Order: sequence, then C-alpha cells, then structure tokens
Amino acid sequence: MTTTVAAGTAIGVDVEERTETAEQSSTAVLVAPDIPWNLVVWNDPVNLMSYVSFVFQSYFGYPEAKANKLMLEVHRKGRSIVAHGAKEQVEQHAVAMHGYGLWATVEKASSAGTGKGGARG
Amino acid sequence: MAKAFKYGLKGITGYLEPAERELLRGLIDDVVSMLEPREAADQDPLAALVGLDLDVQAPTDRALLRLLPNVMKDDDAGSLEFRQLTERSLRESKIGALRAAAMGLDRKELTLTQDEARLWSMALNDIRLVLAERLDIRDEADADHVHAMQDWSQAEDVESYLALVYNFTTWLQESLVQSMVAAMDRRS
Repeated sequence: MTTTVAAGTAIGVDVEERTETAEQSSTAVLVAPDIPWNLVVWNDPVNLMSYVSFVFQSYFGYPEAKANKLMLEVHRKGRSIVAHGAKEQVEQHAVAMHGYGLWATVEKASSAGTGKGGARG
Repeated sequence: MAKAFKYGLKGITGYLEPAERELLRGLIDDVVSMLEPREAADQDPLAALVGLDLDVQAPTDRALLRLLPNVMKDDDAGSLEFRQLTERSLRESKIGALRAAAMGLDRKELTLTQDEARLWSMALNDIRLVLAERLDIRDEADADHVHAMQDWSQAEDVESYLALVYNFTTWLQESLVQSMVAAMDRRS
C-alpha cells in the first residue's frame, strides 16, 4: 500500500566522507532522526470525508473509529496531526498522502500549533 | 445512465455508458498530460533514473500545485529540496493510477479488485482536485454551490458543464469508496 520513496538512499551519499569532520558530525546530531515530527493533514472542500477516513484506515491501519475521529478533526478544525515519528518516516507518509491526493505537510513536533490530534502513528 | 459502484459476490462492480467512459478517458488524459514530467534535453540521465530532479520548481499552476503540494507549510527551501527528491516519483505514481483506471475503462465489465479500486479512487480524486481548481472551489460554500448543479439541461456554458462533470465524478468516487469500505469490513 505504501509509496516508498528512496530519498537519499539511491544517490550514493558517501557516508565515510560525511562523518569525517567534527563539524559535520555535530550537524548530524542536530538532525538526528529521533527528533519527533508530525504529519499534518489539512482540510479542503474537495476530498470526500469517506475517502479521507478510508485512506487513514487503509494506509495507517487505524481502526474505523480512530480514522473517523481524525477525519472529523481535519474537517472541523482545519487540520489534524494524524501521525508522528522520525522526520524521514513522516516525510514518507506525506508523499503517500500526496499520492492519495490529501493535502499533508510535515512539521517539527515542538512547533505544533492548534488542532493537536494526539494520534500515535 | 451509470450505476453506482457496489460490493457484492463478484467483488466491486459498476456500470458506465460508452459516453461516460469516453468522458472519463478524456479527463484522465488531461490530468496525465498535466503530470507528465517535461523532458529537458540536457537532463542528467542518471539523476532521472533514480528519480531526482534538481531543476524542479514548485508548480505555478494552482491545480498542479494541489496535486503536488509543498511538504512544509512555512519552509519553501525545505519543500523545494524535498520536491527534488520525490516529485518525479509522485508524478509517476499518480500517472500509474490514472493509466490503471483508463485500462479498466477499456474492459467490457467494470469489475474491480480491491487494488484496482484503490487506484481508481486515487485517479478519480486527482481528477476532482483538478476540476475543483478550474471551478474555483475554495471553501465549503463554493462546493455546495457547485453541488447544486445536478441537471444536465442546465449545462449552458463551460462552467456549468464542468460543475456537472465534477458532480458526476464525485458521485462515482463516493460510491466506489463506500464499496471499498464494505469490502474492507467483509475482509476483517
């Protein structure tokens, strides 16, 4: 079901070279993958409520009740955090959502504003 | 007249008149041609092979931007960098779903497996997103206004025709999603 995107894996990044200098490895610490990111889905007047709920169920494997709750949050509050995790993981989810035609963005968990869904991805 | 998709013993089935199939083929072709990546002569073949597009920019066409949105709300540079890595494969997967739906339209019987139904629902959704941009649907009130157009005798100009086509594809997608949900419930 998922759209796998091999971002960064297929372009032959030289790992050894990247970790050679202290300056660059400190950058690597800053972008450590365990800093949580949120996947936000935004409301739009086109996507069917049934379809959005279906995507949450079939892509994330959420039970129907949870998928409906998140879908209604998108619909009523304008946005909902539907998953969170490492940056690369939520980016992969975002591409999958774009594949389905849902309007999704990623954001750092700390910068989360309103509409917190509390969904565990 | 078309019949709504339903889930039954044969799986997910629907019925479309030849003219309705022709209409959907035309819409699919339109969206596919929007999504087909331009082939630059000086393009790096290796980059293209792995799905990289370092010359890519955020689309200026609103409909195309809706199909290929920015991944970050307030970070254009970050979104562009992500777009370079992912946009090409996203375009290709969308085209794949649209082509799968077009192939289904060539079959006599409209019987879909669950995976085909998923590709159809994605294709119909992208068609509706493009039509909605052309119809300038910006909020729920606009959507309700367009939704009120149900009578084909009202098709007097391009906009009313597009509204009717939009409503037809909405109805078709809704019945398809209901069938997919029924199929999913049966399976679990």
